[in-house]
Amino acid sequence: MISVEHQGPDAPSQSTRPRERGSVISRGTRVYLRTFTPADLDHLSAWVDDPFLERMVGSEFLQSYKHVWDKSPAFFEAVLTDPTQIVLVIEAQRGWTKPVGVVRLFNIHLLEGYAFLETIITDVRAMKRGFGVEAGKLVSYYGVDVLGLRRIEAKVYEYNVLSMNSLRRNGFRQEGILRQAGFDGERYWDLVIFGILKEEIETQRQKDKVYLPLDPPEGNGREPS
Amino acid sequence: MSAVEAEMQEDAGTSAAAQTTPGLERLRLAGPLTAVTAPALRARIRQGVAEGRTRIEIDLQAVTALDAAGIAALLEARRVLEAQPSGTLALRANDVVCRALRDTGTIAAFALWTGPGM
Repeated sequence: MISVEHQGPDAPSQSTRPRERGSVISRGTRVYLRTFTPADLDHLSAWVDDPFLERMVGSEFLQSYKHVWDKSPAFFEAVLTDPTQIVLVIEAQRGWTKPVGVVRLFNIHLLEGYAFLETIITDVRAMKRGFGVEAGKLVSYYGVDVLGLRRIEAKVYEYNVLSMNSLRRNGFRQEGILRQAGFDGERYWDLVIFGILKEEIETQRQKDKVYLPLDPPEGNGREPS
Repeated sequence: MSAVEAEMQEDAGTSAAAQTTPGLERLRLAGPLTAVTAPALRARIRQGVAEGRTRIEIDLQAVTALDAAGIAALLEARRVLEAQPSGTLALRANDVVCRALRDTGTIAAFALWTGPGM
Protein backbone atom coordinates (compact mmCIF):
# COMPACT_ATOMS: atom_id res chain seq x y z
CA MET A 1 0.00 0.00 0.00
CA ILE A 2 1.19 3.48 -0.72
CA SER A 3 -0.04 6.56 1.00
CA VAL A 4 0.66 10.03 -0.22
CA GLU A 5 0.14 12.97 2.02
CA HIS A 6 -2.21 15.45 0.52
CA GLN A 7 -0.87 18.92 1.20
CA GLY A 8 -3.80 20.79 -0.25
CA PRO A 9 -6.33 22.97 1.42
CA ASP A 10 -8.02 20.11 3.21
CA ALA A 11 -4.80 18.63 4.45
CA PRO A 12 -4.90 17.19 7.94
CA SER A 13 -4.30 19.61 10.76
CA GLN A 14 -0.99 18.00 11.67
CA SER A 15 0.40 19.05 8.30
CA THR A 16 3.34 21.42 8.72
CA ARG A 17 2.30 23.47 5.72
CA PRO A 18 0.08 26.40 6.65
CA ARG A 19 -3.43 25.85 5.44
CA GLU A 20 -3.51 28.91 3.24
CA ARG A 21 -0.29 28.13 1.40
CA GLY A 22 -1.54 25.33 -0.82
CA SER A 23 0.82 22.97 -2.60
CA VAL A 24 3.58 24.08 -4.91
CA ILE A 25 2.99 22.69 -8.38
CA SER A 26 5.82 24.31 -10.30
CA ARG A 27 8.80 26.40 -9.29
CA GLY A 28 10.78 28.87 -11.35
CA THR A 29 13.56 31.28 -10.56
CA ARG A 30 11.36 34.24 -9.71
CA VAL A 31 7.94 32.82 -9.06
CA TYR A 32 6.34 29.57 -8.13
CA LEU A 33 2.85 28.30 -8.82
CA ARG A 34 0.77 26.81 -6.07
CA THR A 35 -2.71 25.41 -5.77
CA PHE A 36 -5.68 27.67 -5.24
CA THR A 37 -6.95 27.61 -1.64
CA PRO A 38 -10.03 28.93 0.17
CA ALA A 39 -7.90 31.68 1.70
CA ASP A 40 -7.22 33.00 -1.80
CA LEU A 41 -10.85 34.07 -2.07
CA ASP A 42 -9.92 37.12 0.01
CA HIS A 43 -7.37 38.08 -2.63
CA LEU A 44 -9.87 37.42 -5.38
CA SER A 45 -12.37 39.70 -3.67
CA ALA A 46 -9.91 42.57 -3.91
CA TRP A 47 -8.81 41.76 -7.44
CA VAL A 48 -12.30 41.62 -8.90
CA ASP A 49 -12.94 45.19 -7.79
CA ASP A 50 -9.80 46.53 -9.44
CA PRO A 51 -10.89 48.53 -12.51
CA PHE A 52 -7.38 48.36 -13.95
CA LEU A 53 -7.47 44.55 -13.99
CA GLU A 54 -10.97 44.60 -15.35
CA ARG A 55 -9.91 46.71 -18.29
CA MET A 56 -6.59 45.04 -19.00
CA VAL A 57 -7.59 41.42 -18.58
CA GLY A 58 -11.37 41.20 -18.66
CA SER A 59 -11.05 37.83 -16.96
CA GLU A 60 -14.07 35.58 -17.11
CA PHE A 61 -12.66 33.85 -14.05
CA LEU A 62 -12.73 37.02 -11.97
CA GLN A 63 -16.02 38.15 -13.46
CA SER A 64 -17.59 34.82 -12.62
CA TYR A 65 -16.48 35.06 -8.99
CA LYS A 66 -17.97 38.52 -8.68
CA HIS A 67 -21.08 38.42 -10.78
CA VAL A 68 -22.10 34.76 -11.01
CA TRP A 69 -20.98 33.54 -7.60
CA ASP A 70 -21.45 36.88 -5.82
CA LYS A 71 -18.12 36.27 -4.07
CA SER A 72 -19.51 33.13 -2.46
CA PRO A 73 -17.06 30.78 -0.68
CA ALA A 74 -18.63 28.01 -2.76
CA PHE A 75 -16.63 29.37 -5.69
CA PHE A 76 -13.58 27.56 -4.35
CA GLU A 77 -15.27 24.19 -4.52
CA ALA A 78 -16.58 24.99 -7.98
CA VAL A 79 -13.06 25.74 -9.18
CA LEU A 80 -11.60 22.68 -7.50
CA THR A 81 -14.13 20.37 -9.11
CA ASP A 82 -14.11 21.98 -12.53
CA PRO A 83 -12.26 19.48 -14.72
CA THR A 84 -11.92 21.94 -17.57
CA GLN A 85 -9.59 24.36 -15.85
CA ILE A 86 -6.48 24.43 -13.69
CA VAL A 87 -6.15 27.52 -11.51
CA LEU A 88 -2.79 28.23 -9.92
CA VAL A 89 -1.74 31.14 -7.75
CA ILE A 90 1.46 33.01 -8.60
CA GLU A 91 3.76 33.65 -5.67
CA ALA A 92 7.01 35.57 -5.93
CA GLN A 93 9.99 33.68 -4.60
CA ARG A 94 10.98 36.51 -2.30
CA GLY A 95 10.03 40.00 -1.25
CA TRP A 96 6.26 39.67 -1.43
CA THR A 97 3.85 38.85 1.34
CA LYS A 98 0.86 38.31 -0.91
CA PRO A 99 0.31 36.43 -4.15
CA VAL A 100 1.25 38.49 -7.19
CA GLY A 101 -1.38 36.99 -9.43
CA VAL A 102 -3.13 33.99 -10.80
CA VAL A 103 -2.60 31.88 -13.89
CA ARG A 104 -4.93 29.32 -15.31
CA LEU A 105 -5.46 26.95 -18.15
CA PHE A 106 -9.11 26.84 -19.06
CA ASN A 107 -11.40 25.26 -21.63
CA ILE A 108 -9.02 22.33 -21.39
CA HIS A 109 -9.73 19.73 -24.04
CA LEU A 110 -7.74 16.74 -22.85
CA LEU A 111 -8.50 14.41 -25.72
CA GLU A 112 -7.89 17.02 -28.39
CA GLY A 113 -4.89 18.40 -26.50
CA TYR A 114 -5.57 22.11 -26.40
CA ALA A 115 -6.43 24.74 -23.83
CA PHE A 116 -6.50 28.48 -23.26
CA LEU A 117 -4.13 30.47 -21.11
CA GLU A 118 -4.87 33.40 -18.86
CA THR A 119 -2.16 35.08 -16.81
CA ILE A 120 -3.09 37.87 -14.42
CA ILE A 121 -0.50 39.87 -12.51
CA THR A 122 -2.64 41.64 -9.97
CA ASP A 123 -0.19 43.96 -8.27
CA VAL A 124 1.02 46.88 -10.36
CA ARG A 125 4.32 46.81 -8.47
CA ALA A 126 4.81 43.23 -9.62
CA MET A 127 4.53 44.10 -13.29
CA LYS A 128 7.52 44.34 -15.62
CA ARG A 129 9.52 42.05 -13.34
CA GLY A 130 9.21 38.94 -15.44
CA PHE A 131 6.69 37.34 -13.07
CA GLY A 132 3.99 37.02 -15.70
CA VAL A 133 6.42 35.73 -18.30
CA GLU A 134 7.74 33.06 -15.99
CA ALA A 135 4.30 32.10 -14.71
CA GLY A 136 3.10 31.69 -18.29
CA LYS A 137 6.13 29.61 -19.08
CA LEU A 138 5.71 27.35 -16.07
CA VAL A 139 2.05 26.73 -16.71
CA SER A 140 2.79 26.01 -20.37
CA TYR A 141 5.30 23.37 -19.31
CA TYR A 142 2.69 22.01 -16.94
CA GLY A 143 0.15 21.86 -19.74
CA VAL A 144 2.48 19.89 -21.95
CA ASP A 145 4.02 17.64 -19.32
CA VAL A 146 1.04 16.90 -17.11
CA LEU A 147 -2.04 17.54 -19.17
CA GLY A 148 -0.61 16.34 -22.46
CA LEU A 149 -1.47 19.53 -24.31
CA ARG A 150 -0.15 20.11 -27.79
CA ARG A 151 -1.49 23.62 -28.25
CA ILE A 152 -2.18 26.59 -25.98
CA GLU A 153 -4.07 29.69 -27.00
CA ALA A 154 -4.46 33.14 -25.47
CA LYS A 155 -6.51 36.23 -26.20
CA VAL A 156 -5.36 39.76 -25.44
CA TYR A 157 -6.99 43.15 -25.77
CA GLU A 158 -5.25 45.13 -28.46
CA TYR A 159 -4.21 47.80 -25.97
CA ASN A 160 -2.61 45.35 -23.56
CA VAL A 161 0.86 45.56 -25.02
CA LEU A 162 2.53 44.20 -21.90
CA SER A 163 0.62 40.92 -22.14
CA MET A 164 1.32 40.63 -25.84
CA ASN A 165 5.03 41.11 -25.22
CA SER A 166 4.95 38.53 -22.43
CA LEU A 167 3.35 35.97 -24.71
CA ARG A 168 5.86 36.64 -27.44
CA ARG A 169 8.72 36.22 -25.00
CA ASN A 170 7.36 32.78 -24.28
CA GLY A 171 7.28 31.90 -27.94
CA PHE A 172 3.60 32.50 -28.63
CA ARG A 173 2.79 33.63 -32.12
CA GLN A 174 0.11 36.06 -33.13
CA GLU A 175 -2.36 34.02 -35.13
CA GLY A 176 -5.17 36.40 -35.79
CA ILE A 177 -7.46 39.18 -34.69
CA LEU A 178 -11.04 39.08 -33.56
CA ARG A 179 -12.26 42.43 -34.72
CA GLN A 180 -14.07 44.49 -32.08
CA ALA A 181 -14.72 41.41 -30.00
CA GLY A 182 -13.98 43.09 -26.68
CA PHE A 183 -15.95 45.78 -24.89
CA ASP A 184 -14.49 47.80 -22.04
CA GLY A 185 -17.68 49.61 -21.10
CA GLU A 186 -17.07 52.50 -23.46
CA ARG A 187 -16.02 51.15 -26.82
CA TYR A 188 -15.21 48.00 -28.70
CA TRP A 189 -11.66 46.76 -29.10
CA ASP A 190 -10.00 44.10 -31.17
CA LEU A 191 -8.88 40.91 -29.47
CA VAL A 192 -5.54 39.56 -30.59
CA ILE A 193 -5.19 35.77 -30.72
CA PHE A 194 -1.92 34.11 -29.79
CA GLY A 195 -1.04 30.45 -29.97
CA ILE A 196 1.84 28.12 -29.31
CA LEU A 197 2.39 24.48 -30.19
CA LYS A 198 4.03 21.79 -28.13
CA GLU A 199 7.16 21.78 -30.26
CA GLU A 200 7.51 25.52 -29.85
CA ILE A 201 7.12 25.21 -26.09
CA GLU A 202 9.91 22.64 -26.11
CA THR A 203 12.08 25.05 -28.06
CA GLN A 204 11.43 27.69 -25.42
CA ARG A 205 12.21 25.21 -22.68
CA GLN A 206 15.64 24.59 -24.17
CA LYS A 207 16.35 28.30 -23.97
CA ASP A 208 14.85 28.42 -20.47
CA LYS A 209 15.81 31.94 -19.72
CA VAL A 210 13.81 34.81 -18.33
CA TYR A 211 14.74 38.13 -19.82
CA LEU A 212 15.09 40.86 -17.26
CA PRO A 213 14.60 43.72 -17.13
CA LEU A 214 11.77 43.59 -19.58
CA ASP A 215 11.76 46.12 -22.32
CA PRO A 216 9.09 48.74 -21.90
CA PRO A 217 6.15 48.42 -24.23
CA GLU A 218 6.56 50.43 -27.35
CA GLY A 219 3.78 51.66 -29.55
CA ASN A 220 1.16 49.26 -30.81
CA GLY A 221 2.17 45.73 -29.88
CA ARG A 222 -0.04 44.25 -32.55
CA GLU A 223 1.54 42.78 -35.61
CA PRO A 224 0.10 43.58 -39.00
CA SER A 225 -2.36 40.92 -39.99
CA MET B 1 -10.30 11.86 3.43
CA SER B 2 -7.05 13.56 2.84
CA ALA B 3 -4.96 10.92 1.18
CA VAL B 4 -4.73 9.00 -1.99
CA GLU B 5 -4.22 5.42 -1.12
CA ALA B 6 -3.38 2.70 -3.50
CA GLU B 7 -3.68 -0.89 -2.50
CA MET B 8 -2.01 -3.53 -4.56
CA GLN B 9 -3.43 -7.00 -4.65
CA GLU B 10 -1.98 -9.92 -6.49
CA ASP B 11 -4.36 -11.83 -8.67
CA ALA B 12 -6.41 -14.13 -6.47
CA GLY B 13 -5.84 -17.18 -8.56
CA THR B 14 -4.17 -20.46 -7.94
CA SER B 15 -0.44 -20.44 -7.52
CA ALA B 16 -0.15 -22.03 -10.92
CA ALA B 17 -2.31 -19.33 -12.48
CA ALA B 18 -0.32 -16.70 -10.70
CA GLN B 19 2.81 -17.98 -12.27
CA THR B 20 1.48 -17.78 -15.79
CA THR B 21 -0.90 -14.87 -15.56
CA PRO B 22 0.44 -11.37 -15.40
CA GLY B 23 -0.22 -9.71 -12.06
CA LEU B 24 -3.36 -7.77 -11.48
CA GLU B 25 -3.09 -4.50 -9.64
CA ARG B 26 -6.00 -2.98 -7.85
CA LEU B 27 -5.74 0.61 -6.75
CA ARG B 28 -8.16 2.28 -4.42
CA LEU B 29 -8.05 6.05 -4.43
CA ALA B 30 -9.67 8.22 -1.80
CA GLY B 31 -10.00 11.98 -1.52
CA PRO B 32 -9.37 14.50 -4.28
CA LEU B 33 -7.58 13.30 -7.39
CA THR B 34 -6.20 16.63 -8.48
CA ALA B 35 -3.01 18.43 -9.45
CA VAL B 36 -1.67 17.73 -5.97
CA THR B 37 -2.32 14.01 -5.82
CA ALA B 38 -2.28 12.93 -9.47
CA PRO B 39 1.53 12.60 -9.60
CA ALA B 40 1.34 9.78 -7.04
CA LEU B 41 -1.07 7.90 -9.28
CA ARG B 42 1.19 8.40 -12.29
CA ALA B 43 4.16 7.11 -10.35
CA ARG B 44 2.20 4.10 -9.10
CA ILE B 45 1.09 3.18 -12.61
CA ARG B 46 4.62 3.50 -13.98
CA GLN B 47 5.95 1.40 -11.15
CA GLY B 48 3.32 -1.27 -11.74
CA VAL B 49 4.07 -1.46 -15.45
CA ALA B 50 7.79 -1.59 -14.80
CA GLU B 51 7.16 -4.55 -12.51
CA GLY B 52 5.07 -6.30 -15.12
CA ARG B 53 1.58 -5.54 -13.87
CA THR B 54 -0.28 -4.44 -16.95
CA ARG B 55 -3.83 -5.20 -15.84
CA ILE B 56 -4.92 -2.48 -13.51
CA GLU B 57 -8.26 -1.75 -11.93
CA ILE B 58 -8.68 1.59 -10.23
CA ASP B 59 -11.43 2.03 -7.70
CA LEU B 60 -12.42 5.70 -7.67
CA GLN B 61 -15.54 5.36 -5.57
CA ALA B 62 -14.05 7.29 -2.67
CA VAL B 63 -12.69 10.09 -4.85
CA THR B 64 -14.20 13.42 -3.81
CA ALA B 65 -12.92 15.66 -6.61
CA LEU B 66 -11.41 15.10 -10.02
CA ASP B 67 -9.75 17.89 -11.96
CA ALA B 68 -8.02 18.07 -15.33
CA ALA B 69 -4.73 16.86 -13.88
CA GLY B 70 -6.45 13.84 -12.37
CA ILE B 71 -8.18 12.97 -15.62
CA ALA B 72 -4.92 13.47 -17.49
CA ALA B 73 -3.29 10.97 -15.14
CA LEU B 74 -6.04 8.45 -15.88
CA LEU B 75 -5.66 9.04 -19.61
CA GLU B 76 -1.93 8.53 -19.35
CA ALA B 77 -2.48 5.34 -17.39
CA ARG B 78 -4.74 4.06 -20.13
CA ARG B 79 -2.21 5.03 -22.80
CA VAL B 80 0.69 3.39 -20.98
CA LEU B 81 -1.22 0.21 -20.24
CA GLU B 82 -2.72 -0.19 -23.68
CA ALA B 83 0.75 0.05 -25.14
CA GLN B 84 1.61 -3.15 -23.26
CA PRO B 85 0.71 -6.61 -24.50
CA SER B 86 -2.66 -7.50 -22.96
CA GLY B 87 -2.56 -4.32 -20.93
CA THR B 88 -5.92 -3.11 -19.64
CA LEU B 89 -7.29 -0.39 -17.41
CA ALA B 90 -10.70 -0.51 -15.77
CA LEU B 91 -12.20 2.21 -13.61
CA ARG B 92 -14.82 1.91 -10.93
CA ALA B 93 -16.33 5.36 -10.79
CA ASN B 94 -18.74 7.27 -8.57
CA ASP B 95 -20.98 10.18 -9.54
CA VAL B 96 -18.26 12.77 -9.02
CA VAL B 97 -15.90 10.94 -11.32
CA CYS B 98 -18.53 10.19 -13.95
CA ARG B 99 -19.59 13.82 -14.03
CA ALA B 100 -16.03 15.03 -14.51
CA LEU B 101 -15.41 12.49 -17.26
CA ARG B 102 -18.64 13.45 -18.98
CA ASP B 103 -17.92 17.18 -18.70
CA THR B 104 -14.57 16.71 -20.35
CA GLY B 105 -15.80 14.33 -23.02
CA THR B 106 -13.40 11.65 -21.83
CA ILE B 107 -15.84 9.13 -20.41
CA ALA B 108 -15.86 7.08 -23.59
CA ALA B 109 -12.09 6.72 -23.37
CA PHE B 110 -12.33 4.48 -20.33
CA ALA B 111 -13.65 1.04 -19.57
CA LEU B 112 -15.91 1.59 -16.59
CA TRP B 113 -16.43 -1.27 -14.17
CA THR B 114 -19.96 -1.33 -12.87
CA GLY B 115 -20.07 -4.77 -11.35
CA PRO B 116 -19.87 -5.75 -7.71
CA GLY B 117 -16.98 -4.71 -5.47
CA MET B 118 -13.49 -4.93 -6.79
